[in-house]
Amino acid sequence: MTLYERADWARLLCAHPAAEVKQAASDLAYRHTVEDLTLPQAGLGLMQLRDSALRDAYFLGEIPLARAHVRVTTAEGRQSEGGAQLLDDRSGLARAVAILDAVLAGGLPGAEAVVPLLERGRERCEALAAERRAQLAATRVDFSLLGTTDEEDEDV
Amino acid sequence: MGYVAIKGGGRAIEGAAGAAEALRAAEGEDGRPLTLAAIEHQLRLLTSRVVSEGGLYHPRLAALALKQMQGDTLEAAFALRAYRSTKPRLLETPVQDTGRMRLIRRISSAFKDIPDGQMLGPTFDYALRLMRFDLAGESPETFRGIARRFLSQVPETDLPDTFPKVVDALRAEGLLPPAGQPREPAFDITREPLVFPVPRSAALATMARAETGSLLAIAYSNMRGYGDVHPTIAELRVGSLPVMLPHPVTGEPTEAGEVLMTECEVVAMYEEQGSSSVAGGRKPGATEDEGESGGPPVFTLGYGACFGHNETKAISMAILDRALQKGMRDGPSNPSEDPEFVLLHVDGVDSMGFANHYKMPHYVTFQSDMDRLRTTRTKAGGKAAGRNDEGVQS
Repeated sequence: MTLYERADWARLLCAHPAAEVKQAASDLAYRHTVEDLTLPQAGLGLMQLRDSALRDAYFLGEIPLARAHVRVTTAEGRQSEGGAQLLDDRSGLARAVAILDAVLAGGLPGAEAVVPLLERGRERCEALAAERRAQLAATRVDFSLLGTTDEEDEDV
Repeated sequence: MGYVAIKGGGRAIEGAAGAAEALRAAEGEDGRPLTLAAIEHQLRLLTSRVVSEGGLYHPRLAALALKQMQGDTLEAAFALRAYRSTKPRLLETPVQDTGRMRLIRRISSAFKDIPDGQMLGPTFDYALRLMRFDLAGESPETFRGIARRFLSQVPETDLPDTFPKVVDALRAEGLLPPAGQPREPAFDITREPLVFPVPRSAALATMARAETGSLLAIAYSNMRGYGDVHPTIAELRVGSLPVMLPHPVTGEPTEAGEVLMTECEVVAMYEEQGSSSVAGGRKPGATEDEGESGGPPVFTLGYGACFGHNETKAISMAILDRALQKGMRDGPSNPSEDPEFVLLHVDGVDSMGFANHYKMPHYVTFQSDMDRLRTTRTKAGGKAAGRNDEGVQS
């Protein structure tokens, strides 16, 4: 159904405006039965890192977190579970991504409409990555040249 | 003396809020309200301060807090913390690997050549501090084309998204102590009070959400001589860290989103491995290659990190981390090495709250001070009169 790993789906879907993702999930929810296995929640997560000096774990701070876990059942009785944990404070968005996750994972009817969202999400992610690479490429510097140029010699 | 009621206070407080709001909109008919997107992006470094000092990575809410507090970073961080206190804690993330940061800036002042090279990224470090008067009359059309023009001028590149850490290369050469195992669970400063001595993880977490100027001031005291860190920046990195959380169904690590952050490692004076004291050079009698304790000397490190793009804060934190490591081990010999002094005085919300509480009515306590002063003066006057009387009599 899709070339992308399931672990990448949420990232690719969240590259779109939330309204677009919610609309896609709403279309699928209209077609299938969606059951919340846990209540969609929005709150905070405490972000843990490891420092690179002494390798101690510590908490950098908190992040917004929304999560959902759903089961989607088709009219024919096929079922698939989906879930999402997002850095976001909209539980509705997490639920929408969880629905899309379930439909994609189970190959349920309607999944074919979600695949283009993944593809366009990849394009958006790639565009963002290209912008970051441009920040790096435009500012790459070779300090080993310090002191070897005429300008430096003149200063000396 | 009795309690002094503030009659009509409610109306005055409402009026004060209205007056402040009126100043926010003082441009009148010509004014346009700031959009949150404009604050988040055009004042990105200001937003960065608020997300890190508020301790909550929510740039959009930080922008809202800045708008609401009319640019006061301390009040904005306070508002962000107040917001977070109303939200449930859903989880602690697994330990995230900052080696996965998608970088936009990466420099080292210790080494000219670092693996995969140095990239200055978006910085004012090498810019002249001259006013750009052209920005005063910037047209929307020109403004909207800036990013597009920049990107169009940069050729396609195959640079990677992530880069190896400089300290890992140093460690591989044996110039740093080998990476040890995690020593203890991370300390949660949002749930546990700081009762000294505190673990290093508490110090790191406290400094990560500290007020930038406070951290800088104490770190600067160390730099100027009230300390001996003498840091060199091994690496300073700015980028977006993908936060990996287990998928609710598969349990597989899944990217939940990104956090922009700054990370810094400073290399400081070397010391013998396993020694109980920091050494700027070898101990008497030890060879050049080997310290008295038997292990070859290695550099020591300080570590700093924070939400957002805030290099001054990350560098200051790294210097203080290194100073506190020494203070925690050997006892402090200056304020920047004293965990209690540093960690209890760098929080912006705490210190701003204490300073500003002096503006609140203290009529009862001050009335008491006045009463005591009058009584003391009366007694002193009585004694003086007595002395004078004695003087006259004598």
